[in-house]
Amino acid sequence: MPPLFNYQFDWAIITSGQYFEWIVSGVKVTLQLSVVSIALSFILGLLIAVMRMSQIRPVLWFSHAYLEFFRNTPLLVQIFFWYFGSYKILPEAVNAWMNTLNFEFAAAVIALTVYTSAFIAEDIRSGVRSIPKEQMEAARSSGFSYLKSMYYIILPQAVRLTIPPLINQFLNLTKNSSLAMTIGVAELTYQARQIESYTFKGFEAFTAATLVYLGLSLIITWLVTLYSKHVLNPIGVR
Amino acid sequence: MKRLIVLLLALVFAAGLGGTALADTLASVKAKGVMVFGVRDSIHGFGYIDEKTRELIGYDVDFCKAIAKKLGVKAEFKPLTGATRIPQLISGNVDLVAATMTKTEERAKQIDFSYTYFLTGQKFITRKGTVKTLADLQGKKIGTAKGTTSEQNAKKALPTATIQAFDEHAPAFLALQQGKVFAITTDESILANILSKAPDKDKYEIPDIRISDEPYGLGMRKGDANLVKFVNATLLEMEKKGEAKKIFDKWFGPKGQAFQMDRGTFKIVADK
Repeated sequence: MPPLFNYQFDWAIITSGQYFEWIVSGVKVTLQLSVVSIALSFILGLLIAVMRMSQIRPVLWFSHAYLEFFRNTPLLVQIFFWYFGSYKILPEAVNAWMNTLNFEFAAAVIALTVYTSAFIAEDIRSGVRSIPKEQMEAARSSGFSYLKSMYYIILPQAVRLTIPPLINQFLNLTKNSSLAMTIGVAELTYQARQIESYTFKGFEAFTAATLVYLGLSLIITWLVTLYSKHVLNPIGVR
Repeated sequence: MKRLIVLLLALVFAAGLGGTALADTLASVKAKGVMVFGVRDSIHGFGYIDEKTRELIGYDVDFCKAIAKKLGVKAEFKPLTGATRIPQLISGNVDLVAATMTKTEERAKQIDFSYTYFLTGQKFITRKGTVKTLADLQGKKIGTAKGTTSEQNAKKALPTATIQAFDEHAPAFLALQQGKVFAITTDESILANILSKAPDKDKYEIPDIRISDEPYGLGMRKGDANLVKFVNATLLEMEKKGEAKKIFDKWFGPKGQAFQMDRGTFKIVADK
């Protein structure tokens, strides 16, 4: 029987040797990018969400502008902005210092964090809005400040409700991290493309990358679900 | 469906016949009085469209014109892309390909090449005065474009350097301008073109360090011995009479129309 695609599959090249090492190093970078950005974007998202619900006008305006700006511009453009555009704004000494560091990685983390935090903030805000406003009133009349009421009473409940959309954001972030290759961050997709250009074995390289992304996404979903089940809501109260 | 298959088979058959019937291109071109050249139409300096006259111009085009003139026939040009260069030649749609084509062993299995009529190679753009030898680039961050042979050549020549591949050449050069990479690398003809467009080109240079050779050859159908012989003789004569250098200078010399490059010691010679 003739081969289906007239293409010789060669899985060995990605399961051992140099190309396997490239995939592994790509996975490492993708993991680092994702974990750091998930943590930072969650914290930043919380902060923006709180600002977005503040009564202080300038804070409100700032957070509103932040949300609209970063939600409504393409991530790719933002990555280029942080990597190339920041050069025009920052002082020469800062640029020189950053160029000695792994700046493309930092720029990718900043872009992914800022972009995702805007979505996370909106998810958290909708979680907060589903908490009856009497709780806030009760907290304030019991002597809690606005921030303390948020921190001790409202947010702990809101974040629990926000878990499913948060998982979505974390998954998106992990997959979006592949855009970092445009500024030369050697993450998983970058390595897959490199293997393709060296060996012309694109099918194998991208199959491997796809499986890794799928695995990573499933692990993230599983971890967040476990956390929400056993830590946030151990007795199963709804 | 059946009809379509019959039609396709007929086309393949006709193409096959066409290929064999044109075995002696030189004779048939002379008989027709027209020679069809396949050239690029978007490679600045080699084969591109003149903004004013809308005509195809460039280094490659001038070589074709010289060959047609020597043969005493009219030159007709057909634009080709990188991917269609060889198929169009083999199927007989063009008689000769002059399209910035590097001579490789893989390609030489399918077509015959003339002597090298243009020699370029992989070089670097660096900040002026920072690089004298290849050793100055070891351990540094070098930018290039993804999916090119440039990336692989650079890794081979500079094992301790970090090769940072961008999607295109333009962001790689931007990274150099901002000090994010120490140098960028690819074919000299592309580098010279990038540099010619840079507003701050005085700050950069292309040091005389070549890590690979990219000899361009004119492509002809396999076994078209008479034509190959004629073209090679013409190339040698053009070199001898200084015509080849004149064409180079017209496009890439100090006052070149396209951009500036150094011809170095390159000469069209036999068997190369």
